Amino acid sequence: MFGKNQNKKSRYGSVAIKPTAADHGFNLLVTTFLTLLLIIIAVPLWSTITLSFRPNDYIGNNLQGMFLVPWKWSTSAYKALLGNAGFILAFWNSIKILIGGVATALLLTIPLAYVLSIPTLPGRRYLNLLIIVPYVFNVGIIPTYLLVTKIGLIDKLPAIYLPVAISTYNCLIMRSFFEGIPNELKESARIDGATEIQVLIRIILPLSKAIIMTIGLFYGVAYWNNFFHAMLYLNSNELQPLPILLRNILMASGMNEYVEVNAFGDAPIAAIKAASVFMSAIPMVLAYPFIQKYFTKGTLLGSVKG
Amino acid sequence: MTERTARQQLMRDIKRHKSVYALLAIPLAFYITFMYVPIFNGQIAFKDYMALDGVLGSKWIGLAHFKTFIHSYYFLELLRNTLMYSLGKLVLSLPLAIILAIAIYESKRPLLRKTVQTLAYLPHFLSWVIMYGILLALLAPGDGILNDIIKALGGKPIDFLTNTKAFPWIVIFSDAWKEMGWSAIIFIAALMGIDPSLFEAALVEGANSWQRVRYITLPSIKPVIVIVVLLRLGTILDAGFNQIFMLYSTPVYSVADIIDTWVYRQGLLEFQFGLATAVGMFKGAIGMFLILGSNRLVKRFGGSSLY
Repeated sequence: MFGKNQNKKSRYGSVAIKPTAADHGFNLLVTTFLTLLLIIIAVPLWSTITLSFRPNDYIGNNLQGMFLVPWKWSTSAYKALLGNAGFILAFWNSIKILIGGVATALLLTIPLAYVLSIPTLPGRRYLNLLIIVPYVFNVGIIPTYLLVTKIGLIDKLPAIYLPVAISTYNCLIMRSFFEGIPNELKESARIDGATEIQVLIRIILPLSKAIIMTIGLFYGVAYWNNFFHAMLYLNSNELQPLPILLRNILMASGMNEYVEVNAFGDAPIAAIKAASVFMSAIPMVLAYPFIQKYFTKGTLLGSVKG
Repeated sequence: MTERTARQQLMRDIKRHKSVYALLAIPLAFYITFMYVPIFNGQIAFKDYMALDGVLGSKWIGLAHFKTFIHSYYFLELLRNTLMYSLGKLVLSLPLAIILAIAIYESKRPLLRKTVQTLAYLPHFLSWVIMYGILLALLAPGDGILNDIIKALGGKPIDFLTNTKAFPWIVIFSDAWKEMGWSAIIFIAALMGIDPSLFEAALVEGANSWQRVRYITLPSIKPVIVIVVLLRLGTILDAGFNQIFMLYSTPVYSVADIIDTWVYRQGLLEFQFGLATAVGMFKGAIGMFLILGSNRLVKRFGGSSLY
């Protein structure tokens, strides 16, 4: 997110002044802080990764395991997971929820955000009020649970994303992005006889790649990570998404541990647990670098105006 | 303009926007079904809810559920835990996020800066189930890394997640670990908006790095800090349901239970739908005043409130 002007030389223009001892101390502190932070963030991630590659005949504790050389790593835990029908099914369920959820959410959020961004729309104030009231006044989970039960969504994958298909917060971020698009562009299209749907598709959407990627990412992360709604609304084993399977694997202990985890094959139990953590995180970790440049841009547009 | 022409104008306006209203149909159906029907269902907070009688058919019992909750022994405990977690997280992670933003902004090592940025945002995208897995590798009583270190130093291993003294710290620190980078984004954005000529002038005046941070950087981002604090105070009753739900267990309920986890257990495990809804609504009502109040203050401090 740092452009060229992050370069110190350009920030201070042509002013060239010799750094003092205080400046050196400051720089040293900044570097130390960032390095320490890097270690603090990296160590837990690294320990989980090394744990997942631990071979069956490994002797030693987890601390030493972090320094195990890569050529002694074993992929037995991953082989066990990928060879397990239950794991593949859960992964597939999660993919279905992710794709169905993001598509539904964007299809609902984009038109609403666009309509709310039209300043001349009669009744705009009431529309705003209509979406803000439930956002501000949250009655908790039970009333929604009763609704989902009543309309027959129980044990259907859309139960995970349909009740939360529009996040008012995301919609408001998108609205303020649309509001920032110059009005002349929309007006000239309207004068040429374009309908609102055409204006949205031909003018607004091509200019809104950053915000759509960002909001899509926010929805995607929320649906991929959701375990609570899956726990409430999906009872059947065939529908369990990845987070529920992961939770069962992680929480298994004692006898249960052997039933739940050993079913996966002959890799060490701790390695299977760590590998399933890593596998659950992988889609987000892979998508992340591609979307990073969009989300920093998109979030900023939504959060700080001026 | 007379009454009649004004109305005609309005009708013309509405007609002109006909296709706009068509775009609204599905989103509005969504709001009515999934946002307003639950609010309507919220009436069971004042009813003796019986599944067979349904929401409308159950008997009204007034404020009985609210009284039960407020007079119960767990009321203060839940309120205390909820505030402890949300304030604790605010106090730890906000200064950390500010310091991180300033350090990233001031760092003269591009590689270090980029790496920290990329890595620090990442945990925000991991779920609390995944976080629980990572924390297990770190904190497990038998073979967690922290216990490896304690044992190497000759201490006795601790089961952190079932220890009432350790649990609150784990909640607060793991939240900081996960969200610190993400919370720093808004401050980094504010820092990028500082007028570079301020720094040039300070340099000419002979100010060193410390003085620049003290007299330019911090004052410049102060409004953003105030706004972030206010917005966080607006959601002070949300102490992090997913996190605590994943990490807690029966031995630590007394220090771990927050309003949301309690509502879940009462409602969906004990089937006390009416009581659980009443507590959810109690929280929702207070939350509403807090959000409205904090947004009003944000506007006064020159921020753009969301609505």
